[in-house]
Amino acid sequence: MTAAAVLRSEWIKIRSLRSVAGSLTAVFLATMAVTVLSFATVGQAEADNADADLVFGAFYALNFGQIAAISFGATAISSEYVNGALRLSLAAVPRRTLFYTVKMSLIGGTALAVGLVTSFSSFLVGQLFMGDYAIGLGEPGALRAAVGSGIYLALMTLLAAGLTVLLRSAVAVLSLLIPFILIVSFVVGDVAGGVADYLPDRAGQLVLHQYPDSSIGPWTGLAVTAAWAGAALLAGWWALRRRDA
Amino acid sequence: MTSIDVNELIKDYGATRAVDRLTFSVRPGRVTGFLGPNGAGKSTTMRLVLGLDRPTGGTATIGGRVYAALNDPLRRVGVLLDAQAAHGSRTARDHLLTLATSNGLGRARVEEVLEEAGLGRVGGRRVKTFSLGMRQRLGIAAALLGDPEVIMLDEPSNGLDPEGIIWVRELMKRLAREGRTVLVSSHLMNETSSFADHLIVLGQGRLLIDMPMQEFLDSRSRPRVRVRVTKTDSPRFSEALTRKGLRAEHGQDGFWTVEAARAAEIGTLAAAEGIPVLQLIDEQTTLEQAYLDLTVGAAEFESASDTRTTRQEA
Repeated sequence: MTAAAVLRSEWIKIRSLRSVAGSLTAVFLATMAVTVLSFATVGQAEADNADADLVFGAFYALNFGQIAAISFGATAISSEYVNGALRLSLAAVPRRTLFYTVKMSLIGGTALAVGLVTSFSSFLVGQLFMGDYAIGLGEPGALRAAVGSGIYLALMTLLAAGLTVLLRSAVAVLSLLIPFILIVSFVVGDVAGGVADYLPDRAGQLVLHQYPDSSIGPWTGLAVTAAWAGAALLAGWWALRRRDA
Repeated sequence: MTSIDVNELIKDYGATRAVDRLTFSVRPGRVTGFLGPNGAGKSTTMRLVLGLDRPTGGTATIGGRVYAALNDPLRRVGVLLDAQAAHGSRTARDHLLTLATSNGLGRARVEEVLEEAGLGRVGGRRVKTFSLGMRQRLGIAAALLGDPEVIMLDEPSNGLDPEGIIWVRELMKRLAREGRTVLVSSHLMNETSSFADHLIVLGQGRLLIDMPMQEFLDSRSRPRVRVRVTKTDSPRFSEALTRKGLRAEHGQDGFWTVEAARAAEIGTLAAAEGIPVLQLIDEQTTLEQAYLDLTVGAAEFESASDTRTTRQEA
């Protein structure tokens, strides 16, 4: 049994389930749709503000793409927890660490690829609508933000995937993470100041700012998100190895 | 020669002992029926053999190795645990392809087993459109993928139509004839008696029986004869039986049922009395009777002494 064979098998699992392949596609489609809608309508008006961060603004649509990324990570895993599917998967690939490593690498890898395409596309397409306010990848911080945003999407995907192994349910993970990102992090972030910069989404999004206003730098922020994702992946690995299937 | 060897196997779920110091071997070249009431530990034992659940104690090996140590295990062991395990939104073909690919098996093999299971024309359909019987066939197709020497099927006839049941029966017999090791759990006694050569019976996680089926039936059967004579001869026949000290009952269908007797004995007796015998049958204990006879004790013990909730078999 080779890792390559397991990788091919896992890829068939992803592409053969509409909900999973659909979530992955939605990372790109949702981001692009919001990019076009928002930049064509209020893009220039927003940029007209004196304190506008043009780089951060350029990645506005990422907020929607990340919901799809989280759904992708959660559904790709949760399909194994329907009706004992995992038992059959582990009968085929009984080496659990190999199974887990390959599965997560593939989920992370595809999310990174789609994430990078999405972030660059969103940036470039959005700027088409910005007229005099348009910036290029040469703008200070823009390239870093575009690359960082792709990595950010992959990390949020893995955070969701690791948690789903732990909780064995996409519904549980989505109802935990989505309200957290949409509400808790938003509210706490404005109130608590420094501590909020260590929340998984807030920390990672520092990389999107032209001049991050934080005690930690843009890449360090992304590393904090990576630590969250890493913790979730470790917890998932521990759970998969230890539990009866 | 690959056998399944279970040795002193124990599995506890909290305070409940699902498998209790189980020791048996499943040998190649014959179909071994795996019987026991719900919750007896059949499915748990199968999961332990596959390394899906971790044993509390003891070992379970296939050909002397633990399952997880097998390279490309589907080529060695084919397994049907739960026909529902195939994801409903996947096509049957893709479902099999995910399993085949991981074990280095190709598309051609997937098409072969789809054909063999009678699903050749519906391979492109999503599993959620399948009836329970079709899912069962898909599960069996998955077990056959790697042309394995060992086949373990948990309740394979569930939901199958009569045609499907015959197919599974003939399939299992053929696999055993080819020298493979075949372990089949079931709760259908008559069904099991139609294919099993050997029986392993569990009760409350313990081994109750491990013997050839015929031997089990013989050990459980009380000789009994069904005999029919003409109406006019009936009183004379009854007298003759009583004289011999035999207990007999006259049924609605015109047959006499004579307990603790063999056909040869009754035939000789009737001949000596000059009574023409119309029909004479040695009654064979069915597997169902023998099994119920065996487990009724265990079940009574269970209801009397064990009020703990037992883990539902998955």
